[in-house]
Amino acid sequence: MKKQSGQSITKLLLREASLVAKDHSLLLTLLIAPLLYAFFYGSIYINKEEQNVKLAVVDDDHSRLSRLLQQNIDNSPTVELIHFPNLEEAREQMYRGTCQGYFYIPKGTESNLLSLKQSNVVLAVNAARFLPSSDILMSVQQICLTIGAGVRLQYYQKSEGMSSTIAMQNVMPVNLDYRPLFNERSSYGAFLLPGLLALILQQTLLIGLSESVAGERQHSGIGEWLKSGISTGIWGKGLFYLFLFSAYAFFFLNVNYSLLNLPMRGNGFELSILLILFIVTLIPMAQFIGSLFKSQLLCLQMMAFSTYPIFLITGYSWPFESLPLVVQWLSKLLPTTPFIQIYSSIVQSGASLWANPAALVHLMLLWCFYSAIAYLRLSRLRKRSQ
Amino acid sequence: MNRFGHIIIREWKRILSLKVFYLVMLVVPVLLFSFYAVIYQKEEAKHLSFAIWDDDRSPVSRQLTFLLEQREALNITRRVSSEAEVEKLIQEGKILGAIHFPANMQKDIYSRHPVNVTLYTNAASLVPAKMVYKAVAEVVITGSSGVILKKLIKTGMKADQAMALANPIKLNSYQLYNASYNYQEYLVPGLITVGMQMILIISSMLALNYEWKTGTMQELYELSNGSALSVITAKTIAHLVVSWFNFILIAFVVFPFFDIGVSAATGKFFIIYSLLSVACIGIGMFISALFKDVMLSGDTALFYTSPAFVFSGFTFPRWAMPWYDQYYATIMPYTPFLDAFFKVYYMNLPLHYAQADINKLLLFCAVMFPTAVLLFQRQFNASTDEKAIRAVHH
Repeated sequence: MKKQSGQSITKLLLREASLVAKDHSLLLTLLIAPLLYAFFYGSIYINKEEQNVKLAVVDDDHSRLSRLLQQNIDNSPTVELIHFPNLEEAREQMYRGTCQGYFYIPKGTESNLLSLKQSNVVLAVNAARFLPSSDILMSVQQICLTIGAGVRLQYYQKSEGMSSTIAMQNVMPVNLDYRPLFNERSSYGAFLLPGLLALILQQTLLIGLSESVAGERQHSGIGEWLKSGISTGIWGKGLFYLFLFSAYAFFFLNVNYSLLNLPMRGNGFELSILLILFIVTLIPMAQFIGSLFKSQLLCLQMMAFSTYPIFLITGYSWPFESLPLVVQWLSKLLPTTPFIQIYSSIVQSGASLWANPAALVHLMLLWCFYSAIAYLRLSRLRKRSQ
Repeated sequence: MNRFGHIIIREWKRILSLKVFYLVMLVVPVLLFSFYAVIYQKEEAKHLSFAIWDDDRSPVSRQLTFLLEQREALNITRRVSSEAEVEKLIQEGKILGAIHFPANMQKDIYSRHPVNVTLYTNAASLVPAKMVYKAVAEVVITGSSGVILKKLIKTGMKADQAMALANPIKLNSYQLYNASYNYQEYLVPGLITVGMQMILIISSMLALNYEWKTGTMQELYELSNGSALSVITAKTIAHLVVSWFNFILIAFVVFPFFDIGVSAATGKFFIIYSLLSVACIGIGMFISALFKDVMLSGDTALFYTSPAFVFSGFTFPRWAMPWYDQYYATIMPYTPFLDAFFKVYYMNLPLHYAQADINKLLLFCAVMFPTAVLLFQRQFNASTDEKAIRAVHH
């Protein structure tokens, strides 16, 4: 009996391979898209972070202090200053998109300081674009604080007669030592790329396999596909995807990670177990989704709109706790949610597979859940086709 | 009614009766756009799990902890006692950051020894890490300035002078167009418009070639007198009108319901939205005229449209991408649309600021429509030849 079932699974695996080879849409989705997307999307973030974000500067003070401020800002890798004679021109350039904001040093900045008065400088950023504006803000804020500390240092030395060591101790009584763990440069690329590669793997599998199942319905192939039993049908077809996407996962983790210079801090074997568990959960899920469509084209169209919503509710790009409760429940129905939690903790922070036991159990439960609903749905379809 | 009107009405009937059209053009927008708005309903990430590692246990460390507790971004959930514990909790996803107050912190501050307060964040989760940093940095900087201020006042200095020394260069920062970094305001209009690009291309890519599938090409040929130009123009108008219904959904239902967007810029939004729609329909028509096979057409459209969001520079600026990706971004209509959208919608600037972007969108139309007409005319002519051949065989 077991031998017979094994033979059927092998037959179904070969049947699926031949089906994919004949169907150019499946061929494109399953064999070309994952690799192309991985290189294509990956390359966007190859520089990991933005540099030389353009900021307009208007200096009405023309003093040593204003030059020092500009020099420091310009020397930071994040910001590049463009000089303008007045605020109107600077603003106009921001409107045109040439720069992402303007920095204004009013007249009297240095003289105010010399007479022990606070100096006010102005930074206006175009917060319609989040990343450049927050990077500029952080950078300029840090520079103003540093130069402010320098001003205090000189005051303590000159007016209070402190030695440079004592003065230094008084300049910043409380320092903030910032340690961003597992992405030391806090770069956007290092944050997004691991998740993006996992998403490419997931979406191409979901689209390809659901299309294949929809194709079975469209071409009246359900009866033939499921003739050796529902479970044999699910795993016979699924085995092809398990092999293919395990190979992609291995390829991404070795080739793409190395090309994009991404660290893999965790244990490779544990990560492999996780990836296999993820793929085997996606397989019945994709088959269930595909079974809802009678047309391969409609399945492709609908699945095309699933990528962004799935990514946005997994808690990767936006904290899970900040999602509305209903969305959190929906998110918990996706294998991506527990997977991405374990995956990013293994890959990015070097945790063990067992560090997130709740998420691991969650993923296993989803495997059972999708296997069950795929089984029930395909049983109904088989009955109908008989 | 002239033949032109007939083709338009016929296309609307097709849109309302064929699943591949009405699901994509009428059902998906309602579900998808509302869903996007719901995801970011909380607008900002708040109450991020945070831990305190207090080796000082002094009034100063308690005061700083109290100030941290007052920050909306943070939710102090745990007390920890070592760096290893911080790392472990971050790995387990139980906290997003932690702060360490070293032993003797208060004593050192009073005895004029500088103190290092360490902030740990899980920077692998960049958005919360940045929020945690911002909240903590503000507290520590305020605390540090307070210490300086106290010391200077103790020396007999006037309060305003002490203030000037505590914070000599005051940075007055203005976050224009989205002062509170509201994620719903920022992301939802972008996600909706990129979704619209996808909807337009994925539906119009079937406007011509699906006639083969439904066996109605001959009927279309007769109705249009064999003019590909009439067919494409009439179908474009039909699809454009449906996209205007979606505009009403976006600008007058979703945005007001979720209190998103700049209502004063709705007119300008309509103009650039219509241009995006025409450009996308042009691309869809081109794909539809190029491939008779609807699946191939679908794959091409999907491959072309799905990277639009990331390549457009919405979340990660284009200037930070390698040059080849910057070039690729220019072949998608969403890229100039987005540049225009930022200016005339988010920033509510006059339309002339988006002139260059509008020209690029017009260029898409100028290239795509004539090419689609040429390609489809060939198919159209061939279809009558096939019919003639079939008639001879019969």
